[in-house]
Parts: sequence; C-alpha cells; structure tokens
Amino acid sequence: MVTAHPGLPEFDYVKPASLAEASRFLAEHAGAARAFMGGTDIFVRLRDGAWQAQYLVDVKHLEGMQALSFDPAAGLTIGAAVNLNRINAAPSVREHYPVLAEAAGTVASYQLRTRATLAGNVCNASPAGDTLAACLVLAGQVSVHGLAGPRQVALKDFFRGPGKTALQPGDVVTALRFPLPPAGYAAKYLKLGRNTLGDLAIVGVAALGYREAAAAAGLRFRVGLASVAPTPLLLEPAALSAGPVDEAALTAAAEAVAAAAAPIDDVRGSAEYRRLMVRNLARQALTEVWRKIAA
Amino acid sequence: MLKTHPTPARGPVGESVARLDGQEKVTGAAQFADDIQFGPGLLHARILRSPHAHALIKRIDASRALALPGVRAVVTGEQTPGYIGLYLQDRHIFCRDRVRYIGDPVAGVAAVDEQTAEKALDLIEVEYEPLPAVFDPVAGTRPDAPLLHPDLGQYEAVNFIFPKPNTNISNHFKIRRGDVAGAWAQCAAVVEREYRVPHIQHVPIEPHVAVAKWDEKGKITLWASSQSPFAQRNLIAKALHISQSQIQVVAPYVGGGFGAKAGVSMEALAVVIAGAVKGRPVKLRLTREEEFFTTFVRQGLVARFKLGCDTEGRLLALENTYYWDAGAYTEYGVNMTRAGGYSGTGPYDVPNVSVDSICVYTNHPVGGPMRGFGMPELHAGLEQAMDDLARSIQLDPVEFRRRNCIRGGDTVATGMTMHPTGLPDCIEQAAAAINWGHKAPPSAPTKRRGKGFAIMWKAPAMPPNAGSSARVQFNEDATVTVSVGGQEIGQGTFTVMAQMAAAALGVPYEWVKVAGPVDTDYSPYEWQTVASRLTWSMGNAVKAAALDARRQVLEMVAQAWKENPDDLDIVNGQVISYKTEEARSLKDIVIYGLPNPDGDGWIGGPVLGRGSFMPTYVTGLDAETGQGPRAVVHYTTGAQAVEVEVDLETGKVEVLRGVAAFDVGKAINPEMVKAQMEGGLVQGISTAFFEGLKLKDGRVQNPSFVDYRIATAADAPPQVEAIIVEVAQDDGPWGARGIGEHSMVPTLPAIANAIYDAVGIRMDAPPFSAEKVFMAMRQAGVVQ
Repeated sequence: MVTAHPGLPEFDYVKPASLAEASRFLAEHAGAARAFMGGTDIFVRLRDGAWQAQYLVDVKHLEGMQALSFDPAAGLTIGAAVNLNRINAAPSVREHYPVLAEAAGTVASYQLRTRATLAGNVCNASPAGDTLAACLVLAGQVSVHGLAGPRQVALKDFFRGPGKTALQPGDVVTALRFPLPPAGYAAKYLKLGRNTLGDLAIVGVAALGYREAAAAAGLRFRVGLASVAPTPLLLEPAALSAGPVDEAALTAAAEAVAAAAAPIDDVRGSAEYRRLMVRNLARQALTEVWRKIAA
Repeated sequence: MLKTHPTPARGPVGESVARLDGQEKVTGAAQFADDIQFGPGLLHARILRSPHAHALIKRIDASRALALPGVRAVVTGEQTPGYIGLYLQDRHIFCRDRVRYIGDPVAGVAAVDEQTAEKALDLIEVEYEPLPAVFDPVAGTRPDAPLLHPDLGQYEAVNFIFPKPNTNISNHFKIRRGDVAGAWAQCAAVVEREYRVPHIQHVPIEPHVAVAKWDEKGKITLWASSQSPFAQRNLIAKALHISQSQIQVVAPYVGGGFGAKAGVSMEALAVVIAGAVKGRPVKLRLTREEEFFTTFVRQGLVARFKLGCDTEGRLLALENTYYWDAGAYTEYGVNMTRAGGYSGTGPYDVPNVSVDSICVYTNHPVGGPMRGFGMPELHAGLEQAMDDLARSIQLDPVEFRRRNCIRGGDTVATGMTMHPTGLPDCIEQAAAAINWGHKAPPSAPTKRRGKGFAIMWKAPAMPPNAGSSARVQFNEDATVTVSVGGQEIGQGTFTVMAQMAAAALGVPYEWVKVAGPVDTDYSPYEWQTVASRLTWSMGNAVKAAALDARRQVLEMVAQAWKENPDDLDIVNGQVISYKTEEARSLKDIVIYGLPNPDGDGWIGGPVLGRGSFMPTYVTGLDAETGQGPRAVVHYTTGAQAVEVEVDLETGKVEVLRGVAAFDVGKAINPEMVKAQMEGGLVQGISTAFFEGLKLKDGRVQNPSFVDYRIATAADAPPQVEAIIVEVAQDDGPWGARGIGEHSMVPTLPAIANAIYDAVGIRMDAPPFSAEKVFMAMRQAGVVQ
C-alpha cells in the first residue's frame, strides 16, 4: 500500500446499555462490528486499512469493566477496561503480581498506556503482546460474556494464532482473572526491544518459579514467551523439574525453551537472533527467579 | 563604505539569554502552518503515487475521479511541462512520461475534504509499463545499467555540477593532488575499507504541510512549513515560467526541519493543484508514512577508503571513492556529493589525495539535504578507517589524530589555505573530558566497556554567492523589530539575531523582537535556512543592518549636539557622549527625529537600518583536479568521544557518556550552542543504533514509527558534556561560525570505534542494532 490514509474511515459508534445487548449486537453484526476499549490498536488498524469495522461497540462503561480488585482467597480481577497505567500502579498488583505490573509498564508509551487495556492486549492476540507472557505464567483466565452468558477461558487455551483467539461472535471479554500465585514464588519479565522506550518486543520472556515439595527438584518453573511463535507460548522446562536445579540445568532449560520457540524473520529481527535471545533471556530470567526462590 | 563608528563589545552577545520563542512554544500559542485557518472555502488535496520503482506512464484516465461528487480538480503531469530543481533541473512537479521511485507523484486531487480526495485517487486509472530498475549505486554506474534519465544531457545545471549524459551519474567531483600512486610504497601501513550507510529520514515532529491559493490575476500565495521560502518562490516561479513577484510564500514556525523542508518538495504539488481551482485555498498535508519516503531522505552511501601512513603515523596518501545512492532525482543531492567530494579527506592534512564523489541516480526515494549534508555519511566510515590505520601501527587513535588533524595554515586537499581552527584544542579537551586511555570496569560480568573517538569538519555547502539581508527598524518606544528571511526551525536563530541586533545597536536584548512569520512579500531576502549558515551569514546581515541604524542615530544626535559621532555611543538604549557626558533616551527620537539645532524644523526621522551579506571570495574548482584557491567560506571543526557498554547477552550497546567539543568561533548564546551539541549527539546515537530505511526493490518496508525507531530521551546518555572552543572566524559576526549540523557528524564513528574498543568487532554498515552487534560478536567468537 503506497498511499497511507490521512484519517479514519467512517464508522458508527454504538453504546449498548448492557452486556447482553452488547453480545447481541456484536453477534448480529459479526464481521462488521468490533468491541471497543482503549482504541490504541483499533484506530491505527482502521486507518491503515488492515481492519474494517462498520460499528465500534463501546463496552468500557459496562458493569465491572472498570473494576480492579484483589481477594486474598480468590486472587486478582482486572476489569477489561482498566488501563495499563492503573494496573502498573495498583498496590495489590505490585505486591502480589509484580511481574504483571512490570510487563504492563513495558507496553508502548506512558501516554498510550492511559488508554490501552490488558484485555485489549490479550484480545488482539499479537504474538508480540508484551503482557501476554506474564499473564500466561500467572495462569490467567479470561472472563467472557457471550450470547449464552458468562464463561471462563483459560489463557493458555485462548490464543489460536496471530490475531486469532477462542472468542466467538457475540463474545465480550469482561475481565482478566489471576488465581493466587503459589506461596513464595518469584517471577521476572525481560523484554528486548530495539530502543529503550515504546518499542514492540523482538523477544519477551517471562519466568516464574516456586517451591513445590512434589517436584523432584523441589522447585517448579514456568516460562512464557512473546514474539517468537504464532502465539505466545507457555512452557514448563523439564530440565528444571527432573533433577537438582543448578546452572547447568538452567542452561539446559534455556536451550530447551529456545528450541520450543518458532520465530520468524521480519523487519524487526531475524529468526536466528530471536532464538538466541530466547535462550539468553530465558537463562537470565530463570536464573534470577531461581536465586530468589532458592535463597 | 559603510561608516559604522565604534562597535560596542558588550552583551548580550556571548550571554545565554532566554529564547525569544520559548514562551509561545511552551504554551502552545506559537502558530505553525497547519494552524492557519482558511475558512469553509478550503479544499484538501491528496496525491496519487507510483506503485512502481521505474516505469513508463502509458495512459492516465481521471474521468471517473472527476465525476465523484466533491472532487474539484484532478491534475497530472500534463499541467507541469517545466522542470524544477535547485542545482540541476531534473524533475517535473508531477511525473509526465515516466515514474522513477515508489511514491513518485503521478496525479493530484483537490476535493472538499481529505476523504473524498482519497476516494478519488482510487478512481484514477494509470497504465504503466514497468522498466528494469537500479537499486544499487555502484551497479548504477555500470554501462549496462538501465538509464533513469535519458535526457540528463539536456537538463539545466549550475556551473559547478558536472552531469555525465547517457549515464546515471549526475555529478562526479574529483580531487587529484600530489602523487597518490607513488605514495603507497612509502607507507608503513595501508588500510582499505568499504562501508555502506543506509538511507535515513529526518523525522521532524511536524510533517510537511502546504496550502496554496491562486487569485484570479494569477498571483500565488503559498503557506508552508518551510526552511526555504525564498528558494521555493524562486524554483516554483521558474518551473511555472512566471515572475518571482507573482508568488508570495508565507512561512510560520517550522516544527523541525533537519533539511527535509529545504528546497522544494511537496510544496510545488500544492501550488499546481491549486492552479486548477483558482480562488480556492488547497491544503496538502502529508501523512507520517508519506513523510518517510515522498519528500527527501538522506542519501545512501557506498564508501571505499584507502589510507596510508608512515611509521610515525603521518598520513601520506588517501584514495577515497564515494558512490552516493542519490535516488530518483538529484536536483538537490548533486551538491551534497560535491560537498562530500571537496571535504572528502575529512579534517586531515594529507599530501597525496585522490577523491571521487559520484552522484548516482537510483530508483530509490529522492535524496536531499539532511543535517550534515554528506558529512555524517562519509565520516562514518572514514573515522573508523583512520582508527584502524592508527591501530595497525600501534598508535593511539587520539595521538594519531593529533599528528594528522588539519591546522590553521595547512593546505587542504582542494588547495585552499586553512584558516585558524581550534580542532587541535577540541581533540585535547574531548580526550581529557572522557578520560581517554583509562578503562573503567564494566557494570556486570556480562558486559564490556569501550571508548571511542572521532573528529569532523564541515563547511557551509551552498552556491558561492548565497546571500542574506536584514532590516532593523525602531518603534517609537525604542524597541526594535528585526526582519529577516531566515527561518526559526527550532535552532534558535531568531534569538541569536535579536542578541546580535541588540549588541550592535546598544539596546537591551528584551527590546528586540524578530518579525514573523517569514513572508517573501515583506521579509528581506535570504537564500535558505540550511548549511548552518544563518548565525554566520544572516548574522553578518543583521549586524550590518543594526550598525547602519546605529550610525543613523549617532549622526542625527551628533548633529543636534554639535558633536563628532565618534565621541558618541549607544549604551543600554541611551545615546551618551563620552565628551560631554550628555545622555538621551532613544525613545521618540528614533521615529520623530530631533529639533534642528540651527533653526526651524527637524532633523533625522524614522530610523531604518539595512544590511546585506554575500560571500564574494569563494572561487570555482577545476573540474578534473578539484583545485582552486578557496573552495568554501570556512570549516567548523570538532571532536567527540563516547564511552559505551556492550551487553554480551543481547548485543545491546549503551552510551554511558558523551563528550562533544566544537570550535564555533564565538558562541553567541553558549547554552543554545551546548543544546545543539547535545541534540546532535542524540541524533547521532539514533542513527548509530536505530535508524535506516529498509528498502526492498525500491519499497520502504518501515515507513512508520512502529518500525523506524528513533532515539528517545531514554536512549540519551546519562552524561553529556559539551565543550565550547572559540577560535574566531574572520568573516563571521563576532567571529561566529555555525554549529547546527556539525554536532551529529562524528557521533556514529565514535560509537563504532568504542564498540571496537570494547569487543573487537567492526560492522560494515549501521545501524548497529543489538542484533547486528550480537551476530558480529558471535561470528568473531566473542559470544556463543
């Protein structure tokens, strides 16, 4: 496309009064209507002509969308319209899910984060989504309101391909839920961008580890990867659950994680470099987590 | 002969006064071109652009577009038979028979809104016949290369540009000095290197915008974000075969130029489209994507260096060839290749020199002026090769530069005698500030530190007779209005002009304002806001105008007081007599004059100073040898040093510290000079690590900020030290030279040299992305 569009195409703004109405409208106009949150992706893609939408269905004001709450028994619930700066700043997130605050803080720029939402990042299902690796290692669940009412989808089953999710016509994501993380866990998100601020991840690696008596090594680890496969990946490195965890095991785990990645060459980086960076960043993140939980 | 009377040496010249435009810009009150309101009559334009890198236009049918409701006009190359160009008239405003790059303008639509204009573009049918294309400058010089401009021999060119008809070479600048071939045998060490520098873009915050209107009599007004209102008036008038007086260019503040808004690019499109809807203003606003490849880009470069020195490290010979990937049209770019030629040795004293600087047409976006005008590109490789040469004889790179740098009195490669220059001092100060020769331990075991050094020179590149003019007039209350045709593009020129006028007149800085917007109907002539030439050239004109006004005041008062003007002075807005100690405010007398001391009536009247400046001493150079007495007006020189830390895990390089030392002759406003040094360093860092247009078969793959990354404040080094060196320039006001462009020239090679110092790798082309550094380290066995 040589000619970039100077402005947005025309669309109708729809503001449903209830989730049921939103689901109904979206289902009736499948393919022509999109749920609208912060708009930071949708406006760009409409302008570029990558997406077409006759209707933008604003769901930000619907029940529970703006809520961010922590329950010591059930965990964290983040309403779909809660922006990333709020997540980054929320004391409950910083205390119990610091890796999520960290990941939220790496998305785009501060200005965009006042509009962009976690749910939007998840629904876009970009393999490069900065928050997705952290959400995966935290065992996130997606709360969805569909034609048949509310349901939960585990995040690990949510992503189907670049831009493709388990959502059906009529579905509106209402919240992201995170269970209480394992006691004494540690986690780390490492992002490699081209410059310091505002870039997409060339590689994003989240690592989470915790003590578990049942595991052979007494420890368990999860690794989430962004930008290195058609969907974000969640892995449990075998090298770290089979035997004693030491630097050799961490290196082997990092190699295994890199082998599981399926990166591509694109304008941001080569597949070869990405795979090497998955290895190095996974080793770095796992080592940091291991030092914390082993201490 | 202008009688000036004693010039006051007092401030505010040399003081870091607050910027004249600071408050209005910070508060958002400052007006930019897109802010100007034109009412409901305004039409909007969009441009249909070539999807082919090289093709013949067989047929254009705009009838369906014209039938679309809301469309007022469609124009094509049929309306633009004339050629346009600054140094070489090699392009039509709209393409006629041929397109030469992806983005070349083929048709323009004026409609009631942007969306309608945009829809109309899809309705214009264009039939192309694709042609083989040239995407590499070296390949473009081969005899069997597809010819982009079969009419090159017929194009009009200035007399210092040498196009070669029936080739893709639109300029070939040569230096032949001494005996290069014979010198290699005397060299103790010789290095040969090839480097490639990618195309980059200026990325001003404000994209190009132009509004044009023709009245019924054919008078054209153009409102534009412009570095060059007068050059635009001139070039567009010539292309349309009309008088310059028929065009008025109004140019408010510019939201960043860096060269992109010099000369003429998209402004002429707006003018031609508006010609089809006389009486209606037509606005053309580029999208950010268009900004990346449809105005000017910085040319790419393939540079080959061969350098040799003796056992003492003294340079004996230099043989450099520069192939400029100049793009589809080189109307402006040809002069960059000339500048790259005559300055092609870099700031070194070399007895035997051969330089070939070759401007090659390619089917890439149009190369044009950008901060540094060829110097960042050629210094990028040259300063790395010099480091390699120094190391090859185990000589410290700074010591090597001490021994070889150009000094006052040296003969430069074009035969000109170098004026006094503070380059040796810049080298000493930069080396001391970075603590050269000492390596600090890295911040982590997975990191390596290194330091790098580079020096530079650059002359204002322009026609020999580029002129400036200025007007200085008083108001009743003795405040002063300075009128100039040079443009405030963020560099602070209005502030500097006000400082100079205040100092030359003897009034407080706060009394002076600079009239804006620049308007070719009302502002005095200025060639262009380019070449870092305003402080020097326009400064000379403003100083002359202020001294002219001062002379008028002093002669009037001397007559009234029956004194000699030489005994009078203007201090802090008061005329004083050193003889009688009489004093009088300038208020009122600068407009109404004074009573005649010898009888009835009055003397004096409204004081209006005028000043002009044009260098008259630049000479031509021999076409075969590049030799001549004075190639340029002068050179600004400088040095930079950086300390970097390379992350062995990722290849990321962080600049921990940057030092810049430049000889500016005289810092009129030291803080603004330092800001230029800091800003240049950051832009240099940006080009070193991030910037590059990714061209594939002529198509820019990354025409947006998503994938064309630039440095932000977070990428700037935590410590930057800017050092001002002042060796006065004989033809500069108060001895001043320019600094705007120079400050980014040595940054990239200094960083490359620091990376080499840290991890021992060299890369053949920037940007030095983390990936490129990591893969180079991996290949060298530094990392796994």
